[in-house]
Amino acid sequence: MPREAEPSLSERQFVLQALQENLRLDGRELDQYRPLELSFGDQYGVADVTFGRTRVLAKASAEVTVPYADRPLDGIFNIATELSPMASPAFEVNRPTETEILLSRLLEKTVRRSGALDTESLCLVAGQKCWSVRVDVHVLSHDGNLIDAACLAVVAALRHFRKPDTSIEGGVLTVYTAAEREAVPLSWLHSPFCVTWSFFGDEGETAVLDATRLEEQVRVASCTVSLNKHGEICQIAKLGGVPVDAVALLQCTAVALTKVKEFSELVDKKLAEDVKKRDKGGFMAELSAENER
Amino acid sequence: MPLDTSAYNLALLRVDGRRWNELRRVHAQIRTQAAADGSSYLEMGHTKVMCVVTGPSEPGPRRGGAGAGGGGGSGGKDAEVAVSIVIAGFSSVDRKRHGKGDKRTLELQSTVSNALSASLHTHLFPHSQINISLHVLSQDGSLLAALINAATLACVDAGIPMTDYVAACTAGSTSTYAANDEAADPLLDLNHQEEQELPGLTVATLGNSDRVAVLVCESRVQVGRLEGMLAVGVDGCKQMREILDRVVREKGQRMIQEGTVERGVGLNDMDVD
Amino acid sequence: MASTQHVLLSPAELAYLHASLSLTPPIRPDGRTRTQFRPLVAETGILPGANGSARICFADGTEAIVGVKAEVERTQSRHDDETVYVEGAANNGGDGDAETKEDSRTGDSSWAEMTVEIPGLRDDDSGTAFLAAMLSEALLADGEFARRLWINRRFHWKLYLDIILISPPLSYPLPLLSLTTHLALLSTRLPRLQSEGDEDPFFDDDWAAAPHLFPRPTTTTPTHRPPITLLVMAVGDSIIFDPSKEELAVADVALAVSVSGDRSEPGEGGAGRKLRLLSIRTIDPPSRLTPPGVANAANSAYGAGNGAPQKMAEARTAEAEAAAEEGVWRAPRGGAKRAVLGALVQKVLEAGGVVDEVLDALEGVDLG
Repeated sequence: MPREAEPSLSERQFVLQALQENLRLDGRELDQYRPLELSFGDQYGVADVTFGRTRVLAKASAEVTVPYADRPLDGIFNIATELSPMASPAFEVNRPTETEILLSRLLEKTVRRSGALDTESLCLVAGQKCWSVRVDVHVLSHDGNLIDAACLAVVAALRHFRKPDTSIEGGVLTVYTAAEREAVPLSWLHSPFCVTWSFFGDEGETAVLDATRLEEQVRVASCTVSLNKHGEICQIAKLGGVPVDAVALLQCTAVALTKVKEFSELVDKKLAEDVKKRDKGGFMAELSAENER
Repeated sequence: MPLDTSAYNLALLRVDGRRWNELRRVHAQIRTQAAADGSSYLEMGHTKVMCVVTGPSEPGPRRGGAGAGGGGGSGGKDAEVAVSIVIAGFSSVDRKRHGKGDKRTLELQSTVSNALSASLHTHLFPHSQINISLHVLSQDGSLLAALINAATLACVDAGIPMTDYVAACTAGSTSTYAANDEAADPLLDLNHQEEQELPGLTVATLGNSDRVAVLVCESRVQVGRLEGMLAVGVDGCKQMREILDRVVREKGQRMIQEGTVERGVGLNDMDVD
Repeated sequence: MASTQHVLLSPAELAYLHASLSLTPPIRPDGRTRTQFRPLVAETGILPGANGSARICFADGTEAIVGVKAEVERTQSRHDDETVYVEGAANNGGDGDAETKEDSRTGDSSWAEMTVEIPGLRDDDSGTAFLAAMLSEALLADGEFARRLWINRRFHWKLYLDIILISPPLSYPLPLLSLTTHLALLSTRLPRLQSEGDEDPFFDDDWAAAPHLFPRPTTTTPTHRPPITLLVMAVGDSIIFDPSKEELAVADVALAVSVSGDRSEPGEGGAGRKLRLLSIRTIDPPSRLTPPGVANAANSAYGAGNGAPQKMAEARTAEAEAAAEEGVWRAPRGGAKRAVLGALVQKVLEAGGVVDEVLDALEGVDLG
């Protein structure tokens, strides 16, 4: 298994000492994110998120399948994450690393288990047919903070996604193509986002948001908080590492809430822009014979 | 099976008759197994966990499924803490086969490993491996907490130097996630039924301090409820630390009385009276 | 199949072990006699959530826990096919005169599922798979066990046996796992059936009324017991029971022998026990897994440029082997002698022998 190159002692020392003086290598504040970009693809359900040099692409897709026998009234919703060697030489295909397992568990808990997507709305014929929605997360470039970027990408992709419209008449299910009927968005209940804190220092007294790869390699602990803009915690994961004061963790959660509201606004804004871009007067305009003269 | 939480408001008693700040019966033993370097058995209510520690030893050939490694990585200047968790098929009410590749198990493994390697003095054992194997015999909520406590006890038994006990317990709240009711009571040490129905979190703290090593919340809850739950959880961890400490001291005392260990051999700082 | 990992012993140590074990009577490293088992601590009924459970701790520190869980399962539509059913009934007609044809029970080996967990080994490791196969093979050998799981023509019990080795695998765990499984099965109880005929089964809630899967031995009726699998090995002429890891390293041949000790007639001790041989498997001792060292002089690959014919090299190998050095033990090559195998099996099945001793001891365990 190839191992990632660890930062040299002097590099490590330099980063840590700078952090002690509240300085970061790229000149950001401790609680500042890198420039964040979100763009949607031409297809519905493709979102591309960039945090500095971290880039994650999420693609949502849907197909009609048979529901699980134990949940006949629910659709199927899956998030697939695979870290390919494209993102970092330490990742291998078909051999999940700890990073990958934790990432997929976090996304699962944040988006799926918190009930962001109404899986009951994916049911078509109870026990026989349902939609299976799947999101594939591709990490194109890994420079730290994969979790936040991947979560943002997944949520944005699912909110952007449109599944083909269907109708049931006399037990016959019809799936319409986009030309026949406008595709419909998923029944989306709330938008959770992850905010990951990294801790530095002997007692984890310095808390930093949006750590780069280098910072991640020298941190002593991390804590990921998932919230939505209504102030509901969907998940908290501080999986070991150096113990951090409980009060500091509470403060981190409070700051995370403001960040989540910013993310929420950003996604709403980008979605609205995208809709405007696509909307050229709708289907009727396309069919109409009139042209601008 | 929906939990009738309405009864709680009348008598302030939970489904199993406890008050809000009561732990379940905790029973623990150390040195349960002669062949291992360290071993423990822990019951938190009906959650029963066994732990066996081998090491620190030379890292063996990499075997598949040996568990998620944490704490510095193998071959480095720190010992690697390799945890493997086996959840027995008969541990839950309905038999369920838990494969070793199960992501939830892998996450638990990596959490226990990371939590302990921060407290164990792994830098004293470079190029070596500490193997912790945990067996879940019965589950009734608070699984992660029981795993961490059992692993801590076994590491104490193995005589691996550590900063302090890593003690864990769970806390919950009687509120539902949507309702931001201020009157909701925090609850200590959730059983399986409560875990299914109510928001809750697992906390592990280091020794007597308020410093949190592990904080895992897997259910939706209002951010306002967090403080109360965390406070109760941290308090519960302190109680748990006392219990673990008592188990270790009692065992130590008995071993001196039985003459297994001579008084004063590495036990100078243990007050035996 | 392969037994456990290699032991790190020098050739001289191996030779010493081999020599002392070949003496009559053999001298074993831990001072046991040939037929003596390691002392063990056993308890049953340790898991309230399971239908049956047991824990055995050997004195060398190896420990295993077995939990048995039963679920009601619908029998596959095999019985819808009337001809097949009649055929099955005919086969089992000799079971007892009291049973009418309608009552005759058939079993299927898929009704019991066995899994073995060994720390540090993967689920799909050949070691665990073989262990599980050997244990379930012995259990299902005569079809009698599966027949016990029959509820009615449409339903049956599905029994899950989860075998967990708690300690690291210090010695070859087969005997430990087998004895623990035996005890767990003895302590297994299934809820008492209240429904009649082929209707959907319902059961008595009262756990105290639940009968044991293997009914208690009484003085009047013959009783069936689950099988046990013992490890026996031969070194030279000595036959040694329950070998430790070090002893196994110098074994000429090692066998896993499964026997069941049904009490055919009432009696005390081993007298009334009818031992039945269920299965035999050879276990590869570690020495078989390493190719023996070949001296340079005998190595055809070494300086083989001179076109020396293969035959000559082989002859030299044989020559070198014949001239065994004093104090160096060489792993035996080739298979075991039939006479040795026969002696091993005979020794196991000896009335009043080790098997009786072990079964008596296990019967003495309080089943709660």
